[in-house]
Amino acid sequence: MKRLQILIGKIIVKMLRLLHRNAGNLPGIILWHISRHKAVSMFRVDCPIIAITGTNGKTSVTNCIAQLFEKSGKKIITNREGNNLDTGICSLLLRHCDMKGRVKADMLILETDESHVPVVYSQLKLDTLIVLDFFRDQLDRNGEMETLIQKINGFCKTFDGNLILNGDDPNTARLGRANPDNRNVKYFHAERYAFATDKIFEASEGRFCPFCGEPLEYEYYQYSHIGKFRCPKCGFGDYEPYITASGIDLEKPVFTADGHTYSPKLNSIYNVYNMTAVAACAKLYGIEQRITDSVISKYTVKNGRMENFMLGDRKATLNLAKNPVGANMTLRVMNEMKGEKELLFVLNDNIADGLDVSWIWDINFSIFERVTRVVTSGTRAYDIAVRIKCSGYDPAKIVVRPDLDEAVAELASTEGRKFVIANYTAVQPTRAALKRYAAKHGGESNENA
Amino acid sequence: MKTLKILHMYADMLDLYGDGGNMEIMKYRCGKRGIECIVDKYSIDSEMPDFSAYDLIYIGGGADLEQQHISADLMKCREGIVKAYEAGTFLFLICGGYQLMGKYYRDADGNEIKGLGLFDYFTVAPSSRKLRCIGNIVISADIGGKAVKIVGFENHGGQTQGVKTPFGRVLYGNGNCAKSKCEGYFEKNVIATYLHGPCLSKNPEVADYMISYCVNRGEAEPVKLAAIDDELEKQCRKVMLDRLLKK
Repeated sequence: MKRLQILIGKIIVKMLRLLHRNAGNLPGIILWHISRHKAVSMFRVDCPIIAITGTNGKTSVTNCIAQLFEKSGKKIITNREGNNLDTGICSLLLRHCDMKGRVKADMLILETDESHVPVVYSQLKLDTLIVLDFFRDQLDRNGEMETLIQKINGFCKTFDGNLILNGDDPNTARLGRANPDNRNVKYFHAERYAFATDKIFEASEGRFCPFCGEPLEYEYYQYSHIGKFRCPKCGFGDYEPYITASGIDLEKPVFTADGHTYSPKLNSIYNVYNMTAVAACAKLYGIEQRITDSVISKYTVKNGRMENFMLGDRKATLNLAKNPVGANMTLRVMNEMKGEKELLFVLNDNIADGLDVSWIWDINFSIFERVTRVVTSGTRAYDIAVRIKCSGYDPAKIVVRPDLDEAVAELASTEGRKFVIANYTAVQPTRAALKRYAAKHGGESNENA
Repeated sequence: MKTLKILHMYADMLDLYGDGGNMEIMKYRCGKRGIECIVDKYSIDSEMPDFSAYDLIYIGGGADLEQQHISADLMKCREGIVKAYEAGTFLFLICGGYQLMGKYYRDADGNEIKGLGLFDYFTVAPSSRKLRCIGNIVISADIGGKAVKIVGFENHGGQTQGVKTPFGRVLYGNGNCAKSKCEGYFEKNVIATYLHGPCLSKNPEVADYMISYCVNRGEAEPVKLAAIDDELEKQCRKVMLDRLLKK
């Protein structure tokens, strides 16, 4: 029966390939049904598995960790395209297994959706779980965030492998107490950076101790609810970090971890946290320092994550924001930039966006500086327009263009620096529209523009 | 200059789906009319406020865990809130705030969180956490004698029963219970609803109803609120109403 299922799966993959279709999810979905939801358990994996989960940063961290092992000469299997649900992981393994379901590799490095950690790793033995952060993101798909954390916490109760946790996120760090017998819990931590604040700056959740309900005390907030916290009553937050990022200077940018100084390409605090997680993993698996160096210093992102475009002679920077934290980050970068600028905000409410758009009300638009005009677009173009207007921005300077090509043309119709924020399903259509404009009106689209 | 005083309770704990945005909208719409809008915050262990000194008390929604945390504290405020409500202070309650004013809220594990008992409805969450009422919702409500369509987003496990005077009739979505006819709870000085979005962002009539109620409270000659530019809000509603109510 198992062989038959794998055979069917493999045939589907082949057929999709012949049709030049991406075999990302479909074979897994079919197998998931014929195996009565136990698709992943059909595979035999003898090598160690590292899983990376969390709301923000999964793709970056997964790619970097994959590179650590690749450059160390290991044969790895990883889901680079980000098919991170159980069906996506199943499709990936189908492509790499033999007819008996054996997966041959030295290492599996799997980006895994937060809500799918328990289901996938109750069927596959996990060596290391890395949890980056939990933010309000697509709440209605996953139920409330607390339910999600409870789910992963339930998994951690019986997990005795390596657990690498963001020690500066109370939502994440609490998982370290799920299994008191697990001696392999390791926290990463970052010291205060220049833009850290004493008071919370952006809306957030999880501000109370999950163990005793006492309000958590913060020495500093790096961004949102990430920072050095401690429960004054029960001491939650007192831990010895496994690795600490210090001397963070984002102007250069540079930071030190475990006595070693790194010069990453990306200059955000979010990247420092991601790379500290990567460094923690490298330390755990004894990766050569020169390899870790090269991975962390070369890592950069494309695909609508701080990607630059030239619209004629006008520079535009596109950033994906699937939650308030991401959007606030772009607004900060935009504000820190001198001179006048214009913003295009593209907001969709498709299924993968979580159908709901109310998260835009947790974005702090009141910090707008030297923003001379706002264009809005997407299936919920008016929602974002109303939101920006109610933050006190002059509605006469807001232009709504639900059609993306019209919105890009509108944005490019004036001189000056442009910023573009697009949410999850909006980001690829927005990139395409920016490229179409560039192709028609001269200009280029590359990350070095 | 007219002043409108709002007490926003548990803003740091009950704030789902942009509920905090409702206060930004109240301030915005007051400000456009030269009405001063003061929003004070109250949370666990704040000094006990004089609830009756406020024109409006606002409570948003939160996850089960947060509701458990505040329930005991809310009980301490019971007397003050009841007095204020009876004297005509407006209560604007979203989701968790709505549930906590009823008799009780029983969560998915069977734990009972005691409500303030101000109204005699009660809420029970189904034992399966998967059964939730999630999605866009449109209701028809009577706002100041006018039938108004109200658009929002609902996400609640709790099924609220025993409501005698609902806020509106469901045109699209679930309402108080899965696939129910009615949504929310209404009295002349109470709007309790599951609508997030935040609720007021697409429904300026609801905001204006409350502002009008508050500024005219105790006045011999009620004044009409000046009209303000709601073009973006109108378009925003139209997009959603066309999409959801199109047969």
